[in-house]
Amino acid sequence: MSGGGHHHREILPLLPTYDPPAELDGLGKKGLIVGFFALIATLVGGLMANDHFTQFYRSYLIGFLFVFALSAGCWSISLVHHLSRGKWGVMIRRSLEAAAANLPLVAVMFVPIVFGIHSLYEWSHTEVVAGDPILSRKAAYLNANMFILRSAFYFVSFSLLAMWIRRLSLKQDQTGDPALAPKMQKIAAGSLLFYILAMTFAAVDWVMSLTPHWFSTIYGLYFVIGQGIAGMAFTILMCKFLSKLEPLAKRFSTENFHDYGKLLFAWTLVWTYFSLSQFLIIWSGNLPEELSWFYGRIKGGWKPVSLMLVFLHFVLPFLLLLSRSRKQNITRLARVAALMLFMRLVDLIWLTAPAFSPDVLKIHWMDITAPIGLFGIWLFFYVRNLRSRSILPLHEPYLREALGHV
Amino acid sequence: MDTMDRVSEQPSPRHVIVAPGQTSVTVTEKISSLVFGKTPLWWFGAFSVSFLLLQVFLISVATLFVKGIGLWGINIPVGWGWDIINFVWWIGIGHAGTLISAILLLFRQEWRNSINRFAEAMTLFAVACAGQYPLLHLGRPQIFYWLMPYPNSSGYWPQFRSPLVWDVFAVSTYALTSLLFWYVGLIPDLGTLRDRSKNKFIAFLFGGLALGWRGSSRHWANYESAYLLLAGISTPLVLSVHTIVSFDFSIGIVPGWHTTVFPPYFVAGAVFAGFAMVMILAIPTRALFKLEAYITMRHFDNMAKVTLVTGLIVVYGYFVEVFMAWYSANDFEWFMVTNRFFGPYKYQYWLLLLCNAVIPQLLWLKRIRTNLPMLFLISLVISVGMWLERFVIIVISLSRDYMPSAWDIYHGTIWDVGTFVGTIGLFLTLMFLFLRVLPAIPMSEIKMILPEAKLKNEEAH
Amino acid sequence: MAELHGIMAEYEKPGDLVAAIHKVREAGFRNMDAYTPYPIEEVIEALDFKTKMPLLVLCAGIIGCLGGFGLQYWVSVIEYPMNYGGRPLNSWPAFIPITFECTILLCALTATFGMIAMNGLPMPYHPVFNVAAFREKAGTNGYFLCIEASDPKFASAREALSGTNASEVNDVEA
Repeated sequence: MSGGGHHHREILPLLPTYDPPAELDGLGKKGLIVGFFALIATLVGGLMANDHFTQFYRSYLIGFLFVFALSAGCWSISLVHHLSRGKWGVMIRRSLEAAAANLPLVAVMFVPIVFGIHSLYEWSHTEVVAGDPILSRKAAYLNANMFILRSAFYFVSFSLLAMWIRRLSLKQDQTGDPALAPKMQKIAAGSLLFYILAMTFAAVDWVMSLTPHWFSTIYGLYFVIGQGIAGMAFTILMCKFLSKLEPLAKRFSTENFHDYGKLLFAWTLVWTYFSLSQFLIIWSGNLPEELSWFYGRIKGGWKPVSLMLVFLHFVLPFLLLLSRSRKQNITRLARVAALMLFMRLVDLIWLTAPAFSPDVLKIHWMDITAPIGLFGIWLFFYVRNLRSRSILPLHEPYLREALGHV
Repeated sequence: MDTMDRVSEQPSPRHVIVAPGQTSVTVTEKISSLVFGKTPLWWFGAFSVSFLLLQVFLISVATLFVKGIGLWGINIPVGWGWDIINFVWWIGIGHAGTLISAILLLFRQEWRNSINRFAEAMTLFAVACAGQYPLLHLGRPQIFYWLMPYPNSSGYWPQFRSPLVWDVFAVSTYALTSLLFWYVGLIPDLGTLRDRSKNKFIAFLFGGLALGWRGSSRHWANYESAYLLLAGISTPLVLSVHTIVSFDFSIGIVPGWHTTVFPPYFVAGAVFAGFAMVMILAIPTRALFKLEAYITMRHFDNMAKVTLVTGLIVVYGYFVEVFMAWYSANDFEWFMVTNRFFGPYKYQYWLLLLCNAVIPQLLWLKRIRTNLPMLFLISLVISVGMWLERFVIIVISLSRDYMPSAWDIYHGTIWDVGTFVGTIGLFLTLMFLFLRVLPAIPMSEIKMILPEAKLKNEEAH
Repeated sequence: MAELHGIMAEYEKPGDLVAAIHKVREAGFRNMDAYTPYPIEEVIEALDFKTKMPLLVLCAGIIGCLGGFGLQYWVSVIEYPMNYGGRPLNSWPAFIPITFECTILLCALTATFGMIAMNGLPMPYHPVFNVAAFREKAGTNGYFLCIEASDPKFASAREALSGTNASEVNDVEA
């Protein structure tokens, strides 16, 4: 993929090394401080609520899904980059890898969910399952042990696959072995397949089973694309940060930004396509076991949030990203990216919270502080990962071209 | 082959989409010679066979008009049979053409420039074939226009909540837009043919179709913009068309039809079958017309990769359907799955898995992706597999729905086969006529990607 | 001398054509057109030709979208209201597909016929075809620049074009 039209920029000489800017540390520290206090606040909120941490876990789940989406989304974008072998991903590859390298951290962040399993998932109560013929039939899949085992499997396999390709990418920096790029391409193909398949089950486990009678076959793909949007939006925001600092100042071209903008645009449309397909099929079918999931969201108290998704997760970004000049200008593009990142959070709230309050809109303040807290910590480790190696892949065959040296 | 290898090493594959040594002059000579040159002997043979098959279509349809659609194997509950299977099959095949010409244009994938005309023609003819079936299935095709909303003396209107009415809008928009996109792409080449034609009458014909095109830059400015916009709107259009085709099933509540993954899974299946069909047509055409310089191994490698990826999405669809049927703990859903596995149509189901899920995995190997006979065979297998997929979805679900007392078995009759074979005749007849009278490869777009089209500043490095 | 449509220079390379356009424009010529066998963005830019196509198609899209939804709403709610399976009269989710198709259809028709109309096609006769070299090469490998007679500085057009890297300069009879 390459941008249309003409992209003007000053072509700077190639450097032997590209060390990540030291200013990143400040960002990481800010993240750590904000994250720490937000988490403390959430914890205190959990204690004060006096509901055996029920609300805490429900909010925490949203936070976990948010940071997981960032890591998994960035990982999947890096896989698409390796797979397509295009120059579009060269400038952001290290950022994507640093985010993906947080997968083990996200696994640790998952641990509280295991403790909160009874506050979150109806099917984890054996007495409820015994009295519910549908849940009894699903019990072979939906039970606490299998849930924990499967989650562990997702995290171990995702982390290992992400680390494998990141290690090869580092090796490419050191040795410049030309065989590594095709090798990473092959690993990326397998990893991407595995990710989509495993994510389908993870989406069922973590979120769909909050309303354990309900099912929808597009649900896994809906999560995959949502994570892609979250990853891309975060990456664009980081591009804005990095494009102001050496060594990347002036090394990004408008063509790079245009490509990221196009990806964000395309994936936003795919998200809309999946959402609309799911809604229209279930709405027209009008079957009680399916429509119940949508009922509170379209007729009940959650209607404003649904409308917010329609207008701010689709209509507004669609109109904004139609403009070519906006996609090519990182400052203006970053504003759309910030909106999308926020709307990803709203979508996660919309997906989870109505399970606990189907008809009445109930968004707790901890639904916001928990994601902020986990994101802050996540950001700190992301910066550490990013700082630990060259900010550009030194021996990537497309690096010269990405930097404008044709 | 060595062209291929150079591609994978070089970051910039700009030169190898067209074989080295080609210039504007050789391109124009070669492609217009296909139109103006003597008709090759093989063309008469191939066209005769196609034309014969077209007669099968005419006989089948004529008999149908005389006797009615009881001629086909459809019954109650299986009111949709081969006819709708073939409709979905053909329309899916058409989608690859739009995908190649529109989406690849948006992504600036220049390798598309030599195969897009061909692919668009394939789209048009496939849609023409697809359109026959719903019309014939109406039983009274002469009043098909009742489907359109227009003020009429009976005072009624179409049911806009029905996906079948959506389909009327989708397919007719698709047919029209594909025709316009194809024609707009042809205009500059028609101008070139007009200027090169030795025969006055033919020059007049091409001249009329070219509308007086003269290559003015003022015109190119509007033309390029219109062409890109047509590509831009064709991309969501092609997705919407197969999505709406999938709604024909998923909006209903029949188990095996009513499932939310249908839209992306149908679109992927359409592209999967469509790319297979492009390869089935391109492999012999390339050899017979000696177009090796324009349709290179790189094209086949890329097309095979798209086929593999879309095939994997289709397999994902099969898998997630089975899993969710179990997970739903819904008796009807689970019965639908076991009925597919072990029911009266189990052979069709397992054969479908073999054709669509197992054999295409060979495309992981580059050895296979660059082996034309193998690609041809795999493409044929995929075409069969995608036909079977529609059979499995449509017939199995209808023959065993909620009420056992209404179950029945369905088999296509000889007239179903005749109509299907007949549309293949219609398709091939149109295709061979196209290959004979119009430039199968866009001259102006090939010239855009020749080395000589580069301006000086780019040649500097 | 017969009446002239303009003076036409022929170039062998697209780069020469672009250079020539810049040169004659700097010399003050304005009314000109270039002819190329395929679209060349640099040529269009050098001539400063702009297109209104995107705006036109956007308007068509908006009309198609509103018209498509309006048609369904009017039919289903006002003209022929009927309770169908308990669905609301204004079943807006079910109206989305046709609204979308109408949007696309109007865009496609506008892009195609708008292009043809804005280019003044069909045009059965045009003077540039009177140049033999143009008929022969315009669709193949000839790059032409024509300064039109309407240009105020037309009297010195032949000189200006001869000063570029043209392989041939011809009169274009009207």
